[in-house]
Amino acid sequence: MEPGSLIFATVKFLPALLLAFGIVSAHAQEADTLAPQRLEELVITATRTERTMGALPMPVMLVPKNQIRTMGSLRLTEVLTEQTGLAVVPQVNGQGSGIQIQGLNPDYTLVLLNGEPLIGRYTGSLELSRIAVGNIKQIEIVKGPSSSLYGSDALAGVVNIITERPEGTRGHLYSRYGTNNTLDMSAEYGTTHGRWSLYGFVNRYSTDGYDLSPQNYGKTVSPFFSYTGNLRVGYSFSPRTELVVSGRYFREKQQFDFEVLSSNNEKIRTSGDGLTSDWNFNPVLTHRLSDRAKLTARFYATGYQTETRLVNPATDTVYYTDNFRQGFMRPEANLEYFAGKQHALTFGAGANLESVETGRYGDAVARNQETTYGFVQDEWTPSERLNVIGGLRFDYNNIYGSQFSPKLSLRYELSKSISLKGSYGVGFKAPDFRQLYLNFNNTAAGGYSVLGTEVVEGRLAEMNAQGLLSGYLIDPSQLGNLEAERSHAFNVGGRATVFRKLTADLNFFYNSIDNLIETQAVAVTTANQTIYSYRNIKRVFTQGLEANLSYPLTQRISLSLGYQLLYAKDADVVDQVEQGQVFWRDPETLVTRRLKPEEYFGLYNRSRHMGNFKIFYSHKGWEGSARVIYRGPYGMGDIRGNIQGEVLPPSDINGNGILDVYDHFVSGYAQVNLSVARSLESGLRLQVGVDNLLDYTDPIYIPNLPGRLLYASVGYTFHRKTKTNN
Amino acid sequence: MKINRFILVLFSAVLITLASCQKDDPAPVTISASTVTNLPADPPSGGYDPMSGQPIGVTKKFTLFSFKTGAIVANADSATANWDLGFNGTTIIVNSGTSGPGTAGAQVVTGVFDEILEAPASGYGTDNKTTVPATYAIPRGSGNGWYNYNPSTNVISPIAGRVIVVKTSEGKYAKMEILSYYKDSPAAPSSGDIDRHYTFRYVYQSGASSTFE
Repeated sequence: MEPGSLIFATVKFLPALLLAFGIVSAHAQEADTLAPQRLEELVITATRTERTMGALPMPVMLVPKNQIRTMGSLRLTEVLTEQTGLAVVPQVNGQGSGIQIQGLNPDYTLVLLNGEPLIGRYTGSLELSRIAVGNIKQIEIVKGPSSSLYGSDALAGVVNIITERPEGTRGHLYSRYGTNNTLDMSAEYGTTHGRWSLYGFVNRYSTDGYDLSPQNYGKTVSPFFSYTGNLRVGYSFSPRTELVVSGRYFREKQQFDFEVLSSNNEKIRTSGDGLTSDWNFNPVLTHRLSDRAKLTARFYATGYQTETRLVNPATDTVYYTDNFRQGFMRPEANLEYFAGKQHALTFGAGANLESVETGRYGDAVARNQETTYGFVQDEWTPSERLNVIGGLRFDYNNIYGSQFSPKLSLRYELSKSISLKGSYGVGFKAPDFRQLYLNFNNTAAGGYSVLGTEVVEGRLAEMNAQGLLSGYLIDPSQLGNLEAERSHAFNVGGRATVFRKLTADLNFFYNSIDNLIETQAVAVTTANQTIYSYRNIKRVFTQGLEANLSYPLTQRISLSLGYQLLYAKDADVVDQVEQGQVFWRDPETLVTRRLKPEEYFGLYNRSRHMGNFKIFYSHKGWEGSARVIYRGPYGMGDIRGNIQGEVLPPSDINGNGILDVYDHFVSGYAQVNLSVARSLESGLRLQVGVDNLLDYTDPIYIPNLPGRLLYASVGYTFHRKTKTNN
Repeated sequence: MKINRFILVLFSAVLITLASCQKDDPAPVTISASTVTNLPADPPSGGYDPMSGQPIGVTKKFTLFSFKTGAIVANADSATANWDLGFNGTTIIVNSGTSGPGTAGAQVVTGVFDEILEAPASGYGTDNKTTVPATYAIPRGSGNGWYNYNPSTNVISPIAGRVIVVKTSEGKYAKMEILSYYKDSPAAPSSGDIDRHYTFRYVYQSGASSTFE
């Protein structure tokens, strides 16, 4: 069958197809996972119901299990780094990393596990290396806002991790060992018996970490180990009704030994532990009311906590402690209903209950917030060539008020080989707990305080009464009242299949946020230290182009090429530069000049060009891959010194606080990753590989990029239902 | 084209003549361009407290500066009009309003230091710390006045293109550009460098004119 006619057939029989792929029988597509650009790939994230990827009117990417296996990856960050347009950027505090989509910070991407949000945004972005990939069935990435379905945080995009479901009886044992004494061991077992299904996964990951700056005491990444457990039990009450209960537990312990700079710039050696854990519990009940209607009731509860304690062994005193606990609970119900052949409707309602407790808020009191929401979506197929998806969601929050998030997407099939897509959506991101409640005093030299908007007014009044304040910098009545950040986004593009089977996907994107939350100096103490709070004051936009080409060279070899062009800028800075109000001072000659509009580069941590080139090979039990991932030069802004206490020079070296072409840029770099695997009839699978073959490192600016990593793994699968080529 | 070139040559000739005139003739020059290095602005003698981050051993007194003398004025003279600006940490006060008995005023002008050839006729502010928010002629806070503060690196950087124009109590004009907040003006300062030391260049018009040429 031609790919084009497949889309045709899919669109035409969408409703019937959907019913066939209810939750009970959702594993049907697992059988053949070979061809990399299959059009029948099903994704659930874009519409909350399973749909063929090719028919969706918005930009969607899918990373299937077989690709993750061929890549030899262990953690989620490794997989996401290699996807077009996704940049793994270090977190603001220099520890860990998050994912940047369409040039927006990691805080603006919602990360879901089986449709439910992962929590633990301790410093804004989620640490995605805490997710093991051994139990992942596929990773779905929807770009552009999806707040119309998912509410807050789904502004730049949504990453949804779909974990494995049992199909027949299958067990899998796996172990990988590599550079830095990194050992990964996992076991998987799934079975179905009558009305019951069971799936379990356990993983242990340990590493000695690595040291990119051996001249300094301690390591760049300290040694750690972690355990992940995942259990899923399903029971069918009838062919119409099924209950699935799943849960996850994760625990990580890191052993720190490092030198920190005291406020007097003395080097103090400290040691201690960092503990992180999370758990979740997720029962989902589905019931088919009729051939046209399906009801789903979901409950999700999750907890996250992290604690760091550093001791100065020389004096046996506690040097630093930090802790963070977060809880989240969500009941939700939704109804899918097919109104005639043209409309597939989805209705949903639910509530989020969240609480956070951390020493950084100045007390041990838990802060809570509640959101109630409802959404509706209509997938309309007026003709065989056109499909339209409209969605609207309403969120009411007890702190920041209400949000309407609409989205409209459409796809039109110009011919069997060319389709056009376009979407407009509104995304939003609620102020996080940190922005509301932080009560933080930086103790470094020239220290400062940051106060959340819910506490700033009271705390400043208190300080003023005590005579500690030398003055306000803004009218105190303007303090507080933080709003949710809202974006408007357009995605326009299409897909064409030409020259035999060369598939080209193209997407232009534009995101703008007019009320970005930014720290603003609000008062000065009598000791001349600045106090900051948060306000909705910044305007930014990101725009660019993403292109993906894939080509099956032969039955065995497939090639793909990905590219993203990105312009991410501060709209106010653009205006100021155009008005000639921005200057730069040569740090050597101290001569000041006016900045020209074309000399403003844009926001920090954004590469103008990113790309990848991949070759995958698969034939008769052999599989292999060669992947080149490139990230172009970028400026480094809001990053503190790296973990070894080094002071990180910022990119802005010429006194205008913005990134211009005369500033310092982090060099562009390419990672080359190779892997080869052999599967045997006995169920054994052997793999060797190397990540970062060229051993590219940048100890100061890219501490999260280890050098060359060699690894070898062995896996054993028993009782496979179907024989696969890998 | 030919005419333009001729004019250019002519101009150059005039300029060269003027320049050589200035060299030979010391008489009517009213302009002095100078650079002040490492003006201390209450640096903490005991460093910073490791727990609170508060500076230790600060006097909370402003270092007073006079453009006329190009030197620091003793704190004993703080109640006189002998000083123009006072420096403490990142705060710069001007001798008037709630800050001093003088009648000086100041404003922050956006532009290239060398291109500002005449002081603005109006717009000179004074300090008033009794209002809420307090108003300062040279606004305080990151991004508001003369500096940006990077909370990630704890570095204060003078904003390029911010020129402070001062009208002294005697009605004379001065323009100044702050170049560094750190001792010995490191090209790429870090929080490890000693802060609260100003380096700035200024031009003081000692005559009755408001021009800086």
